Amino acid sequence: MGVRDEQKAATREKVLEAARDLFNDVGYEETTIRAIAERAGVSVGSVFTTFASKAEVLSHVMNHRLAELYAEFDRVLPYLRGSTADRLCSIFAIHYEFETRRVKLFLAHIAASYNPNNDPGVTPYGRNPRLSQMLLDVLEDGVRKGEVREDLDLPLIAETLKALYAWNYRLAATAGGDLPPGEMSAAMDRQIAMIAEGWRPR
Amino acid sequence: MSFVSVKIESAADAPVKLTRRALAKQRTRERVLAAARRLFSERGYEGATIRDIAQAAGMSTGAVFASFADKSELFDEILTADYEVIHAQMTQASRNAKTVDEALLGLFAIAYGFHVEQLPLLRASIAVSWTRSEAAERRARSDLKHIFRLLADALRRGVEQGQLKADIDAKLLAEMTFDVYLANYRRAVYDGWTVEALLARLSEQLKVILAGARA
Repeated sequence: MGVRDEQKAATREKVLEAARDLFNDVGYEETTIRAIAERAGVSVGSVFTTFASKAEVLSHVMNHRLAELYAEFDRVLPYLRGSTADRLCSIFAIHYEFETRRVKLFLAHIAASYNPNNDPGVTPYGRNPRLSQMLLDVLEDGVRKGEVREDLDLPLIAETLKALYAWNYRLAATAGGDLPPGEMSAAMDRQIAMIAEGWRPR
Repeated sequence: MSFVSVKIESAADAPVKLTRRALAKQRTRERVLAAARRLFSERGYEGATIRDIAQAAGMSTGAVFASFADKSELFDEILTADYEVIHAQMTQASRNAKTVDEALLGLFAIAYGFHVEQLPLLRASIAVSWTRSEAAERRARSDLKHIFRLLADALRRGVEQGQLKADIDAKLLAEMTFDVYLANYRRAVYDGWTVEALLARLSEQLKVILAGARA
């Protein structure tokens, strides 16, 4: 990498870090590009040469975080134990634990995905193939072990679980962002148990 | 197309004789609500300021604030009005159904039909729901209470008619059903799904959710 590229990468890092903190502490809507530049110690112009919009900054902050989270998963996944339902509960609990560290950031990300935005640089919330694949793997394993009926539409179950996972963050939103992750994973555990009741071989 | 609710305090018991002042005030509210509905749909919640709304309604921001405490109250009034429009139809769809699945799909069919028609406003309302103030949260919850009562009724009838087990956790099932119903709007927003497509998907999801609760 040339000096220029290095500088650019360093600016990028600083901007993403500043944005992550401001979005979480002050709020996404409340944070201006100027505030991000100020906190990152760079010029407003250099933020704009790196990102097209605030929405794009948020999108990159979140991608960055997801990469972090899934690095953690690569380490943890082989050690997940228990029934199919148990393992799904663990996967979601790890997500809740992680996102609760900066839950307002996460809520802003979900909220932003419902706001009109056609920016090609933005990946909206919900495009998360890693999570879908993880859930499918566990469910397929459940079929192999005879815990899950084999005539079921597993992608549909995975998608339903993802929907429930996302909307449990409403609990955090209702609590004004101040909620222990355990409450969301407890809700998710109950929902998984309910669905597991229906996928059992009879 | 644009429905605007006019909340006249205790309209039921008060004789309809409004003073000129009250009438003028009511008209102002209507104008503000109509302008707000249009701007929220066009620009989203954050994108529409009270100043824009006042301008579109042809009045001063002060006049808007005389009718509404803040933007969030104004926005919620629009949503509540919409909800009042579809609530009766949702109730009827649910009561006319023969099975619990039909009841749930019937009432959500009304909601999908209504909201997909005005998707931009729905997007805005979901977007705010993740970050709204406590006061706005309380107002929204009182609207939701009615929906949850409908869901609980449908599930209870399912139990009474022997379609569902007697010991189901109806509250949990209602929450799960509502969550997936809401989550499906993403398909309308991002993938242009029609009401029929949304309902077909919801029907499949309901099977997943209710499978363990069937008698």
